[in-house]
Amino acid sequence: MKTSLRRELLDHGATVVGFAGLHGYLSGEIAHLDRAVSIGVDRRLNEDTLSLLVKLQKRAARFLKARGHRTLVIPPDSDRKNDTFISKLYSLFNHKMAATSAGLGWIGKNGLLISPEYGPRLSLATVLTDARIRPDVPIERCLCGECVLCVAHCPSKAITGSEWSRSSPFAELVRLGECRSHKKSKRQTAGKPNCGLCINICPYGRKEASTKQQISCKHQAPNNK
Amino acid sequence: MVTEEKKTELLAKLRNAVIQYDEDTSKEASQEALDVGMDANDAIFNGLVSGMVEVGKMFEAQEYFVPELLMCADALYAGLDILKPHVTQLDLGVKGSVVIGTVEGDVHDIGKNIVKMMFDVAGFTVYDLGRDVPLDKFVAEQLRTDSDLVCLSAMMTTTMTGMKKVIDDLRTKNPHVKIMIGGAPVSQDVADKYGADGYAKDATNALKDAINMIESLKKMKDEVEAKKAK
Repeated sequence: MKTSLRRELLDHGATVVGFAGLHGYLSGEIAHLDRAVSIGVDRRLNEDTLSLLVKLQKRAARFLKARGHRTLVIPPDSDRKNDTFISKLYSLFNHKMAATSAGLGWIGKNGLLISPEYGPRLSLATVLTDARIRPDVPIERCLCGECVLCVAHCPSKAITGSEWSRSSPFAELVRLGECRSHKKSKRQTAGKPNCGLCINICPYGRKEASTKQQISCKHQAPNNK
Repeated sequence: MVTEEKKTELLAKLRNAVIQYDEDTSKEASQEALDVGMDANDAIFNGLVSGMVEVGKMFEAQEYFVPELLMCADALYAGLDILKPHVTQLDLGVKGSVVIGTVEGDVHDIGKNIVKMMFDVAGFTVYDLGRDVPLDKFVAEQLRTDSDLVCLSAMMTTTMTGMKKVIDDLRTKNPHVKIMIGGAPVSQDVADKYGADGYAKDATNALKDAINMIESLKKMKDEVEAKKAK
């Protein structure tokens, strides 16, 4: 079942698909749905990343329901309607936690999910289920290494440079207040709060970056898994 | 005219859409019901609501948990939004208006929203004050709208005490209004002690109680008017 679901989602446009076992990580209300299908879509593919993610989630939910399993679709963070009943439960759940548990990547110094292949450029969505899928191997700690490009380039100096690991999930990686106030001040130019420098600068998955820079970054940030 | 077979099929589809928490199917079936000329009232009560009743049973049997319950409610609303404008006449016997809200200090409004949904479905006029509602506002809103019923909800024992104050205020301002309370810490004992007219364990009970209460209230009003006429 795992392979065919992964196949189906990849065939329909998912960039990466992982399966996580979240037993012990979820709050009581949703604890019975302790497997997660984590779906990532490369933001650079097109403008319709969001609608693609929503479609993929529905596909995964249909797939699991048709086999008699329960599902709870957690929509992408930028597509949360707050007027539904179920939206009250969304805040209990964190996409990045599911993605790291599914081995899709780690939480980088910039506080974003870093995938070894695609860097911080994935948009995430999750489908929780009670299907007994065997989980993938989780990633337990930050693999950014010595690289501090995002720390150095952050215009609001909001990135602390601390490293994430699953055993210290509450370490402050980014001073959110400072990041937010900077984004707000950039509202005029972009029409909405916007920054994203820490995404652009990240050497992981930056394909159009000059080879020289990539090599030097790779040197700084060995993937020493 | 729609055939019996088609009707049964659509009702089953609506019912299953709610049970399977499938919003898309719920919308689709509701639209289809309208297209073939089915009575919207029929579609709501024998389709959507019958599904929700089943969900209630599954919830009690601990087969469904909170997330499923909420998703089912969302699926019901998705269909209801389409069907409701086409409802011509409701034959529940009574109609009423209700003021509902979660009391000051409390932001837990899932239960309140489900009770509200039942009132919506039954065709009540609902004045929803939302959550963390200042205690005076219940009284003011009841007087403004002349509602038959006031429903108070609290999730915490600390905020529950606020309900007593609202009940006392309402009683002095308007002795005829019926008051129902609900929420995790509330029990029949608490309801009796606070002087509420009703306490509901869950949303379905809340609706049944509410209809009974409004009936008795209407009767009381009629009697008073009959006496005056004499």
